Amino acid sequence: MTANPSRQSPAEWEESAQLLPLTTRELPSGRHQFHKERLMARIQQEERTATTAAAEPKARRFTMPRRAFAVPAMACALAGAVVVGASVFTSDGEGTGAADGSVLTTSVGAATTKGVPQLLDQISLAAAEVPDPKAGQYVYIESKTANSYEKVVAGGSSLAIDKLHRRQIWMSLDGTKGWLIDPAVNESPEGETLSLPDEQGNVPVATLNGPSYDYLAKLTTDPDKLLQKIYKETEGQGNSPDQEAFETIGDLLGESYPPARLYSALFKTAAKIPGVVVVEDAVDAAGRHGVAVARLDETSGERMEWIFDKKTHVFLGERSVQVREDGGDSGVIKRGTVTNTSAIMKRAIVDDIKQTPTEGG
Amino acid sequence: MRTRVRAGEPSAFAELFDSYARTVYNHAFRLTADWATAEDVMAATFMEAWRLRDRVDPEGGSLRLWLLGIATNTARNQTRSNRRYRAAATAAARAETAAPDHAEEVAGRVDDRRRLAAALTALAALRRPEREVLTLCLWEGLEYTAAAEALGIPVGTVRSRLSRARAKLRRLADTELASTATGPMVRNREPVPGLGQVRGDRGTAVRPAQEGIR
Repeated sequence: MTANPSRQSPAEWEESAQLLPLTTRELPSGRHQFHKERLMARIQQEERTATTAAAEPKARRFTMPRRAFAVPAMACALAGAVVVGASVFTSDGEGTGAADGSVLTTSVGAATTKGVPQLLDQISLAAAEVPDPKAGQYVYIESKTANSYEKVVAGGSSLAIDKLHRRQIWMSLDGTKGWLIDPAVNESPEGETLSLPDEQGNVPVATLNGPSYDYLAKLTTDPDKLLQKIYKETEGQGNSPDQEAFETIGDLLGESYPPARLYSALFKTAAKIPGVVVVEDAVDAAGRHGVAVARLDETSGERMEWIFDKKTHVFLGERSVQVREDGGDSGVIKRGTVTNTSAIMKRAIVDDIKQTPTEGG
Repeated sequence: MRTRVRAGEPSAFAELFDSYARTVYNHAFRLTADWATAEDVMAATFMEAWRLRDRVDPEGGSLRLWLLGIATNTARNQTRSNRRYRAAATAAARAETAAPDHAEEVAGRVDDRRRLAAALTALAALRRPEREVLTLCLWEGLEYTAAAEALGIPVGTVRSRLSRARAKLRRLADTELASTATGPMVRNREPVPGLGQVRGDRGTAVRPAQEGIR
């Protein structure tokens, strides 16, 4: 090897090679051919349309195939609109939030540790009985959501936005069937299926990070046991065990349908996580003001806030606010930036995919 | 080849796919820690390549670099947060090593699984930009200038990210990888120091981390 300064020295190479073994794998059997055929079919199809409608197809960026499968069951976090960088790929969809537009900001509310247990207690008591779904029914959740995130472009980073938009998701109780309508994610306005199994034939197994209703219904409602389970199953994830536990509970509060007993238990569990604070005033994605239970991620400087109605203590939504200066890998996320926000507008049980609950029902 | 790609010749893309699908697939795996996601990224990369065909520089060598650049961008949008990456890496490493001891499984295959788990462990300890540089320069053997081109960043940045990545790996090697050889698992629980290495780590989804069932 020559002494080329723009290459690693042989010694460096060897050292790293030991750390990072050079192992590669073949695509699963048949998949090479499968994808090749798809590519060729696409090319041919475009060639055909290009002759009739010039230039139009090229304006459309390609979106991930089967992207829907990348959405973990119900719980791909309520701010699931970030899912798979959709906005980067769908720069032309209506309401998709091109990578420009104004950044969502807020004044950073003061946090206090005073009254945390009392507030969590009140919230937990406010858990309303929700009707149990019957076999074959679907959990329907409608939310309003927006996100900002760091996007790396040639020469630096910039802040990209998914504008505030409506998101609707339907999930079967076992989490294997579903439908998602979210302009920040979908390629077509009809939305896309979330019905699994994935292309390898794996049926999804519900986990804390991807819970189905059935999974939630069986989850322990003992706060100590639940917290233990959360710590155990999220071990090694996130920026700290406590923050990860808090965010895991947050995910369960958002785009999911926890039975009432579990819902109460979630707050009793959250009360046991160190570092939880109260923020007196927070605004959800729908503009509703409320009081927030929050926790600061010390590593990223971002604070996750669960927002509740001040009087009724009904859960309104969640958001993450950059609290420390200059967040993100390159400091483009300024203090006060709302990195994602999601307000739950409807949460209901319906009989079928794409069915919405009747008004007032 | 470049001319044919620019001209949108289907046969050129067929050849491109045959030559580089595997390379892109493995590269995507290192960046997403999930084989199924890697497959999606691979497929999307070639579709993107088709879409972007007229941006190919008519002069130059192999198109591998160009494809790796597209794949890196595509993978980045799949796994936007380190939290998700780590979850996936943990699950994948576990799946590799927790696979049942088939008597018929040849020793080489077992070693391969072990090596893969160790690599995931190491990659999970890095920040995404470091991971990208490392996989391009080390696994794909790109020169710094080529990696810089693929990532659209200055060469100096490639160099500094790579040296940070190496330093972290060395530390990791001292403490972790020795034990990984026998019972690998992602053990590095320490958040990697540095500014905001996980920003909004919520909401970005890779596949569900289906632990231990692949």
